[in-house]
Amino acid sequence: MFTIVKRKIMQRRVVITACSAITPIGYGKTDIVESLRQGKSGVKPLRDDGLLTERIHSKVFGTVDYPIDYGFARKDTKTMGPVAYYACKVAGDVLAESGLDPEFIRSGRLGVSFSSTHGSPTIQRNIYKTFFSEDKSKFSSIGAVDYLKSMVHTTAVNITRMFGITGRVVASSTACTTSSQSIGFAYEMVKFGMQDAMIAGGADEYDTTTVAVFDNLLACSVDYNDTPECTPRPFDVNRDGLVVGEGGAAVLLEEYEHARARGATILAEVVGFACNNNGGDLILPNLDGITATLRLALADAELQPADVDFISAHATATKMGDVIESQAIAEVYGNKPWVAGLKSYMGHTMGTCGAIELILSLYMMEQGFLAPTLNLENIDERCAMLRHVREITETKIKTTAIQNFAFGGVNTCLLVTDGRE
Amino acid sequence: MTRDELQKNIVSILVDEFEFENPGLTDNLRDDHGFDSIDAIELLAKIEEMLGYQISRKEKEQAMSIRTINDILNYIETIQAAHQSQ
Repeated sequence: MFTIVKRKIMQRRVVITACSAITPIGYGKTDIVESLRQGKSGVKPLRDDGLLTERIHSKVFGTVDYPIDYGFARKDTKTMGPVAYYACKVAGDVLAESGLDPEFIRSGRLGVSFSSTHGSPTIQRNIYKTFFSEDKSKFSSIGAVDYLKSMVHTTAVNITRMFGITGRVVASSTACTTSSQSIGFAYEMVKFGMQDAMIAGGADEYDTTTVAVFDNLLACSVDYNDTPECTPRPFDVNRDGLVVGEGGAAVLLEEYEHARARGATILAEVVGFACNNNGGDLILPNLDGITATLRLALADAELQPADVDFISAHATATKMGDVIESQAIAEVYGNKPWVAGLKSYMGHTMGTCGAIELILSLYMMEQGFLAPTLNLENIDERCAMLRHVREITETKIKTTAIQNFAFGGVNTCLLVTDGRE
Repeated sequence: MTRDELQKNIVSILVDEFEFENPGLTDNLRDDHGFDSIDAIELLAKIEEMLGYQISRKEKEQAMSIRTINDILNYIETIQAAHQSQ
C-alpha cells in the first residue's frame, strides 16, 4: 500500500501566526464566524456572463457579493487579474496581522506558496475573444501584461511584487488541492529549514468556465436552482452535486522559535501533512488512495487516530465522493472524531478550499465550537457511520484534520493542533 | 496632429491611465513616476490606438531609449513623419 520513510534531517516546529480569508460567507473572522453560527449560506444565483450561463444547467454559485476596499495602487494592479486581487488582499492582511519586520519580509527567509486553479479566467477569456475576432486589428488589444495577469503563478508573484518578498516561490496548481498543497509544501519548506516563514494559500475568481466543466461531467448541483441556499448538501441523501465558488485565503506559517522570539501570537501548529496520488483514474475518488493519505498524515504528525477531534471533510456533495470519503474516514478513525463539510456554507471554492477550510477550522478551534454541515437533513445511510456535526456544538477541539481531494487523483491531509499557550 | 495636441493627448493618457501626478515634460519617467518596462509596452499600445495604425517592431525597439515626456513626443512625431512619407 504505502511506505513511511523516516529520514534524519532537520525538523523544526511550524506554527500559524496569522490568517485571512475572503469567502462567500464573509471577509475576516467576525463576519465568517457569525455566518457559521447563524447557518448563513453564501450560495447565490449564477450571474449572467453573456457567454456560458444560459447553457449551464447549474444556476448557483458561491459568490463574494460584498464590496472589498482593496486600496491598491496602479503600480501594483497593472499586473493583476481579479484572482490576484483576492490573493494580494489576504496576503497583505496576514503580513499586517503578523507584525513581521519589513527587513525580514525582504530578507529571502520569507517565501510564498500560493496559487489558483487557472490563473485568471477573466483575462484568458478576453484573450480568446481577441483570438477569435474576425477584426485583425484587434490583435494588438492583447495587452503586454495579459500573460502576467493570467498565468498560473500570477497570485504568488503578484504577492512577491507587492510586498517585496525575495524568498522561494511555490505555485502548486492542482485544482481542488491547490491551496492545501500550497500550505503543505510551505510547511515542509519551514520544517526542513529551507525558509523561516511562508505565506501560503490560494485564490480563485468568479468563473463560469469551471461551472461548465463540472456541469458537463454531471457533477454540479442542478435541483436547487430556485433555492440556492439549500445546496450543496454534503452527506445528505438528497445531495445532487457540487456548487462552484470563489474566494481567497492565506495563512502565515512560521518556524516556532522564530515566532516565539518575536512574541508572535501562535494560532495553531501544523503537525502533519500528507499528499499522494491515486495512480490511476483522474476523476473518480479512490478509497485506497484517500485512506493512505489520511494514514500518512497521522504518521507524519506521529499522532494516533484517537488524537484527532475534528475532521473538516472535503465533502463536495457529489454522489460518490462523499461516500468514498466517509468510508476512508470510518476505516482510519472509526466514529470518534466530529466530521463536518464546510463547503455546505459556500460551495466549492476550488483552489482556495483547503486554505478556507483550514481558517474556518482555526476560528472554530479558537472559539470552542463546531458549525454543523449545512443542509444535512437526512444522512445518506452510506455516510451514516460517521459522527456528523448536526448543530452548533460547543466543544474544545485540540486537533483538526483538513482533507482535500482533486481531479488528477491528488489527495491531501493537513493536521493542525490548537497553538494557543 | 500638432505638437500641442500630441502633448495634450499624451499627458492626458499618463495622468488618467498611468496615474502620473503633475507630470513635467522633462521629468524622468522611471525615477519621478515609477514608469517601468511594463508601462512602456502598455504605452506603445495606447500610442498605436491614438495613431490608428500599428507601429513596426523596429520602431518599437527605438522606444526603449525614451526617458521623458518630451522624448515620447519626439518619438511619435518621428513615427508620424515616417508614416506620412510612405
